[in-house]
Amino acid sequence: MRRYFLLLASFALLLALLLAAWYQSVHPKPVALIPTLTGQVEYCLTCHSDLAQISNSHPVQTFGCVLCHGGEPLALDANLAHSTMRGGSNPSDFSVVQASCGGANCHSGTPESYSNHIQRATTSIQATYAGAIANILFTFGVQPDLTARLGIYAVQDPGSTSGITSLAAFDPASETNPYVKAFGQNCLTCHLSAHPLSGSVYFRFTGCAACHTPTQSADRTGTQQLQSSQIHKLTTAISYTQCDTCHNRGNYDLRAITFAPRQDLPGDRLHDYYQPIAQFTSCEWMLDCVDCHTRTEAMGDGSLYSSKLDIQYIQCKTCHGTPTELPQTRTLTDPNDLAFRLALLNPVVDLKLGDTILVTDKNEPLWNTRLLPDGTYQLVGKANGQVFPFKPVMGSACTQNGIDQTSAYCHTCHSVIR
Amino acid sequence: MSDISRRDFLKLASSAVLTAAGLLGLAGLFRFLDAQTEPSPQTDFDLGSPEKYSIGSRTVLPDVPALLVRSQAGFSALSLVCTHLGCTVQSQSDGFACPCHGSRFDLQGNVTRGPAGKSLEPLRTGITSDGNIHLYTN
Repeated sequence: MRRYFLLLASFALLLALLLAAWYQSVHPKPVALIPTLTGQVEYCLTCHSDLAQISNSHPVQTFGCVLCHGGEPLALDANLAHSTMRGGSNPSDFSVVQASCGGANCHSGTPESYSNHIQRATTSIQATYAGAIANILFTFGVQPDLTARLGIYAVQDPGSTSGITSLAAFDPASETNPYVKAFGQNCLTCHLSAHPLSGSVYFRFTGCAACHTPTQSADRTGTQQLQSSQIHKLTTAISYTQCDTCHNRGNYDLRAITFAPRQDLPGDRLHDYYQPIAQFTSCEWMLDCVDCHTRTEAMGDGSLYSSKLDIQYIQCKTCHGTPTELPQTRTLTDPNDLAFRLALLNPVVDLKLGDTILVTDKNEPLWNTRLLPDGTYQLVGKANGQVFPFKPVMGSACTQNGIDQTSAYCHTCHSVIR
Repeated sequence: MSDISRRDFLKLASSAVLTAAGLLGLAGLFRFLDAQTEPSPQTDFDLGSPEKYSIGSRTVLPDVPALLVRSQAGFSALSLVCTHLGCTVQSQSDGFACPCHGSRFDLQGNVTRGPAGKSLEPLRTGITSDGNIHLYTN
């Protein structure tokens, strides 16, 4: 009996050792990476070596993975390795963005260093949704004016230049007005912290990635309903189709306080995009949104606002001037000009010292434009590199009063005829 | 051929299995004891004979990464790690450019365009007893 037991125990021991050897053989050998910026070993590339580099500004040899994503750098078990990741697969979600994109003062620096992105983005009207909330509260008599008091989350702006120093968190559950309550339940799906509607063809991520990680094909050949594991990209070459994930994804029904999501994707931008009564110029349907609208307009300037109208300021005259004035320009003489840095991030143009570019009323560089020797201008599409030549209004037959810049004026003569 | 008794068979089988388990266990133990920690980053680079580098040459050493300069005065070296965030700068005819965030440096490594705020770091070089030139990054 004792010998049987010994034989059985020997077999069990051998089996256990063979299993251990097999377990070792089927698990991958750790692939170590020591990023320049952290100097700490991480094994993420053991499984993720096939991921494309997220951008030229974030090379994996410099940043590694953990600096942005968090996680357990030395774990080889997927569940353990991912257990402490920031924001799941999206470290740019605003709930964790300060620790990820803001880490090491990368995107949470000063306005002077052009790196206060998080302060700007998290106070922007696209993030706080303060304008829409204020409008609804005013419309249904909850507040006396259109000044923003509530945002999607509470946020402070002690150095406000807009006069709004803080927003309290909007809590639909505590609202007594049924319309405001319904607004809270049905209409909070397009701010930068909101997840898109389930199954929506206008899929996007949250936080910075909502705009900077393309989920929609630029040519509208079909939506890319990609999971975060399938797309690993950050870009400033943002196609209008990405903006559409919020700005053209359906309509609000203000009688029912509901949102009616659009089910289709416009294939022909000229004919499918604009409603039949719409008036628009060729700029509006041929260019991408980011070709005209600046980083300040899209991401905010760090102050809280009540309406997007308070932050948007690009007008037709910004590029075209008026009958009496040429558009504002700047000749690049400072190698540290912001224009160079923006052009480096999206190299559709080769800017050089001595080039003259257009600038906005706030002196923001329209770095993808250039004054040509013949006095005309050209704009290069940020998303596709397409070149658009254009002329100033001055010297043309236009008799427009220069201060009349709303769309009704310029559209009178320059609407596209479909 | 003689018959083996049941007792001897069990004894032989147990011994064989125990020996196999012992050998496997020993192999695992040796593997455990032989495991290497991740090596520290290399800080001493043997660049070979000085004769390989002509006077006036500027040699990019991508594995360091660094630039080795040989002038009439001797050898000097410059780190090619950008002082902004640590990307590897690229050597150009008029200096160095960082492909990550656009910092530029002149031929001496001085900043000519931000966001980098500091010059490229000079590195120590020396000729050792074997006659080879060495570059040190610490």
